Amino acid sequence: MAEEIRTGVYVCHCGTNIADKVDVEAVGKFAGTLPGVVVSRDYKYMCSDPGQDLIKKDIKELGLNRVVVASCSPRMHEPTFRRALAAAGLNGYLFEMANIREQVSWVSSNPLQATVKAKSLVSGAVRKVKYNRPLEERYVPVNPNVLIVGGGVAGLEAALKIAGSGNQVYLVEREASLGGKMAKFDKTFPTLDCAACILTPKMVEAGQHEKIKLLTYSEVVQVDGFVGNFQVKVRKKARYVDVNKCTGCGDCEAVCPVNTVDKFNEGLSQRKAVFKEFPQAVPNVYQITKTGTPPCRLTCPAGVNVQGYLALTRQGKFSEALALIREAMPLPAVCGRVCFHPCEGECRRGDIDAPVAINAVKRFLADYEAKNGSAQPASAPASGRKVAIVGAGPAGLAAGYYLSRAGHEVVILEGKAEAGGLLRYGIPEYRLPKEILRREIDQIARSGVNIRTNQWLGRDFTLEKLRREYDAVFLALGTSKEQTLGIPGEDLQGVLSSLKFLESANTRAESVRGRVLVIGGGNAAVDAARTALRLGAQSVEIVYRRTRDAMPAFAEEIREAEKEGVKFRFLTAPLRVVGRGGRVQALECQPRQLGEVDAGGRRKSIPATGPNVLLEAELIIAAVGQKVELPASLVGRVALAAKGTVQVDEYGKTTSDGVFAGGDLVSGPSSMVSAIAAGKEAAGIIDAFVRGEALPGPAPKPRPLPKAASVTEFYKAARHEPAQLEPEKRRGLSAEVTVTLSEEEVLDEAKRCLDCGVCSECQECVKVCQAGAIDHRMQDEEVELEVGNIILATGYEILDPSVGVQWGYGRFPNVLTGLQFERLTNASGPTAGRIVREDGREPEAVAILHCIGSRDKNYKEYCSRVCCMASLKFAHLVKDKTKAKVYEFYIDMRAYGKQYEEFYNRVQDEGVNFIRGKGAEVLEKDGRLVIRAEDTLLGVFREVPVDMVILNTALIPRADADAVARLFTIQRSADGFFLESHPKLEPMKTATDGIYLAGTCQGPKDIPDTVAQAAGAAAEALEKISAGRVRVSPITAYCLEELCSGCKTCIPLCPYNAITFSEEKKVALYNEALCKGCGTCVASCPSGAAHMRNFEEEQMLEIIEGVCAL
Amino acid sequence: MSELTTGSAAAGSASEYEPKIVGFLCNWCAYTAADLAGIARIKYPDNIRIVRVMCTGRVEPTFVLKALSAGADAVLVAGCHPGGCHYQEGNYKAYKRTLLLQSMLPQFGIEKERFRLEFVASSEGEKFARVVGDMVAKIKELGPLSGAGTRLAALDGFFAADARMEGGVNLG
Repeated sequence: MAEEIRTGVYVCHCGTNIADKVDVEAVGKFAGTLPGVVVSRDYKYMCSDPGQDLIKKDIKELGLNRVVVASCSPRMHEPTFRRALAAAGLNGYLFEMANIREQVSWVSSNPLQATVKAKSLVSGAVRKVKYNRPLEERYVPVNPNVLIVGGGVAGLEAALKIAGSGNQVYLVEREASLGGKMAKFDKTFPTLDCAACILTPKMVEAGQHEKIKLLTYSEVVQVDGFVGNFQVKVRKKARYVDVNKCTGCGDCEAVCPVNTVDKFNEGLSQRKAVFKEFPQAVPNVYQITKTGTPPCRLTCPAGVNVQGYLALTRQGKFSEALALIREAMPLPAVCGRVCFHPCEGECRRGDIDAPVAINAVKRFLADYEAKNGSAQPASAPASGRKVAIVGAGPAGLAAGYYLSRAGHEVVILEGKAEAGGLLRYGIPEYRLPKEILRREIDQIARSGVNIRTNQWLGRDFTLEKLRREYDAVFLALGTSKEQTLGIPGEDLQGVLSSLKFLESANTRAESVRGRVLVIGGGNAAVDAARTALRLGAQSVEIVYRRTRDAMPAFAEEIREAEKEGVKFRFLTAPLRVVGRGGRVQALECQPRQLGEVDAGGRRKSIPATGPNVLLEAELIIAAVGQKVELPASLVGRVALAAKGTVQVDEYGKTTSDGVFAGGDLVSGPSSMVSAIAAGKEAAGIIDAFVRGEALPGPAPKPRPLPKAASVTEFYKAARHEPAQLEPEKRRGLSAEVTVTLSEEEVLDEAKRCLDCGVCSECQECVKVCQAGAIDHRMQDEEVELEVGNIILATGYEILDPSVGVQWGYGRFPNVLTGLQFERLTNASGPTAGRIVREDGREPEAVAILHCIGSRDKNYKEYCSRVCCMASLKFAHLVKDKTKAKVYEFYIDMRAYGKQYEEFYNRVQDEGVNFIRGKGAEVLEKDGRLVIRAEDTLLGVFREVPVDMVILNTALIPRADADAVARLFTIQRSADGFFLESHPKLEPMKTATDGIYLAGTCQGPKDIPDTVAQAAGAAAEALEKISAGRVRVSPITAYCLEELCSGCKTCIPLCPYNAITFSEEKKVALYNEALCKGCGTCVASCPSGAAHMRNFEEEQMLEIIEGVCAL
Repeated sequence: MSELTTGSAAAGSASEYEPKIVGFLCNWCAYTAADLAGIARIKYPDNIRIVRVMCTGRVEPTFVLKALSAGADAVLVAGCHPGGCHYQEGNYKAYKRTLLLQSMLPQFGIEKERFRLEFVASSEGEKFARVVGDMVAKIKELGPLSGAGTRLAALDGFFAADARMEGGVNLG
């Protein structure tokens, strides 16, 4: 360093603030002994003009080129002294401060040690400043757009001020409407103006202002950049109503069948799933609450909107409910009988008592239609395309139905004499009457599907012919071949597959004689057993190799079979069929036991010790499954997958062009509803295929409900279980065993649904909305904004008083929070402004309890500031609207604002009883609420009976204040509210330049203070905008390229992407315009190439040596 | 008062050992908390010498070793809470380096209690005072750190710029 260092050191007394604890004179003298120091002085107030003049004079007269001031925190006066240096012609960065006030004199209780500490800090500063270099301030332009977060009165005020100056504002509000908490209030203290009357004009003005862009029902999700140039991402949550189309007419609300808790009314009433928060909402549009896809719908293979049809059913809209089912599944009467209804297994109501009888409701709806007639849903206009479907089982029928509704000409070719596949030939009549099936298939035919039976592939037509004549072919042949037992004697006369047995029973119904054994544990086995019994079998026994619990058949089927007299033999497996003269005589069986869990998650059946048994029988029915049998004419034309099913790609296309396949033919044996789902899915793809459009990818994943969605209120009624025909009446094949629920039972059962998804997507609103504004498939979207300044006006929450069991909230009705009372007394609230108890009676006495959770070390230590006045307002309103006596329980009455004390006096004059003492406990005695409190003025303990209690709860930081603070890189104070830059002088600023605070997010305050702070925050932003540019710190990192080894260590460390790699020079390139000066890269550079201005390594080592010197 | 030049002699009772602790405090959280402690007049021992950095991410292990060899009995690094860093994640980097240093110091005969990392939010003036008080008490129990300079001298070459240029260590 060529220049001679000439340092001046100035020790400030700060009146007595420093001088009381630190021997400032000694510190000054000590400084004079340090190397490079040419002058050292102590002075009463260094920050004063004469103090600054001392420095300026010495710079000029003594030729100082470095300055150290030992005084307060640099966060106070560093800029002051830098300016003083600059005024004397010296670069402001040739300066250091030693913080001997906040960090020495004010925290010390020992003058001797404090003086040593002060000296050490001065020593460090003097050593460091030698290496300080002149730095040039940088300026960046300020984007004049402003982001305001929160649309309550604070956000509105700030937005209108800034927009009024002609600058663009983006106003982000989390809820559906502007207004915030104030919109919930009835009157405002002390003037008693109506809150809505003074707030709504601001809301409307903000809504209409050309310089304010509203982003309601939106949240800020990402903030990048810095003062003057922030990049912000905002997520606009899906409202499911188009804000630009909705007229706010409310037709949707009138038809919505779903009620949910009205949060705007603080849970005092219910609202519809489609709603507007309050009459004066801005924007004046509706929105729909969806919590996710309910588990019933999520688990249904066909995705039937269960909640939707239950909601419509309970309104008696049976045909609408059925039409909704048909949107997902065209065979409701069949499904209502034979579906395995996994929906009921998942039903949330099952967590409370028993699941909703979903399947029985569906069955009723279909049967109701059969009796009362139906309306055919409209089909799309004819497309001119033709599709052929081979197989009229559930998959083929579903595909045909949806393709026909999409406007295509559809023919289904069925080999058997009747359509229905296994529904027709595999399920016995007593479970699914033929007439019901026929009616459903007729309905599908009426939708335009041409079903042609007795058409065998290979005999009556070929695949080639179909390909020539149709635009696409869908193969839905199912699994038509039975699995064999694979044991000796299986080919004896008297051994049948369940498939053959049930088919013959379903066509000819020949009688059965003698003893029957059924092998297997699925529904086919139970069906075969019960059918055999009905056809006259002497006895029927089901032989199953696992246990009863492991049977795949439905529990109710097993139960009914047992009632009818079917016997069960578990843990038994067939070994061989014993016969004589070619006829069955007996079945030799082996005892089994359960072993390890297999790949399918069930325990294996393995041989057990014990003698084999010989079971005599005249008929053995093997119900051990089915498999695909490809017709000869398809062999070689469509490829098979390894498991023997037809091979398809992700779109269900076979290896033959234009030929699709689905259902059991592709999946192997599964359920009827899965086959329907496969047919419906194929229809969607084939529709796009024949139209020449891009094939649709997999449907977007539905959003499941949150697990912990708690339900507090629900319709209390037991499940209506469908009745079963008495076993003695079940003779013959056709008597249907399960009875359809009655209309009354179904109306009641549908009310049991918890509406756990809130909106049921029943589509009623879509039908009535003339503006076409409703879109249930709307998705969240993200918008990116560029702004120069940000104002946070995110508001507060109230303490949930149920945390203190003594206050009775949540335990007793008629114990309300202040906000609930605001809604109760509000003309737009649940009682249209009448102050009544839950039972509708007017209270005879009301207690208002102050400081619930405030000024209480168990909860919040601070005073919430607004409660005293709000309590007086409540007292006045009760007095005004009722004849009730009013008791105020207070600790201290704080009426500090303009006209507040006068209001207090007025309310006292109105005859309100003031009891000085905190309401300690709320009890219930003799049907009334009783407040226990110590009256500290009289010195007595009191119990006051009342009929309503208003708890004036603490204002607390919002639950996500921590996340929001991190998002905007600001801090929170000890009480959890956002931290202002300075509690007195910078209450609107935060430590992050360009981010300001307005209203209660910074701490509890009333409306006048909130509005004042909001206007102040707007002024802060406008100051930056007017200046047009903003100073940014010159303290940045840089790279000495000749030392850089190109290791790239620093690059991922930089949170601002300020470092890139030059492939040409093989070194790191530092963009100082992006650097914020944290120095992390510098600390981690293994080559010593990264440097940081004003925090250079040599400066750091010097200051360390300096402070360690004594 | 010119005779009062060293910490150890400055105590009210001359016999009591007064340790010297260097505290590297980040500008946004811990340094502000230290100011707040002052504004609230919360008293804590005078043994700490505060060095301001913009972010604890700037604190090189060299600084800590330098302080210990220059006469400090202990070193405190205090920054923002996880997630609260003004620079998003500088405090995490500091934390990672801390783990390395804490495993290294005992190898030089320096108790690991002599180096401490704390998260102190700007509102936590009281916590800052508590941390300092607690640390001073601990170091008083441990006694002076003597001879650290000599023992750490072995490291000088390790951290010197020349050595680092050869591709040395990555403490990122």
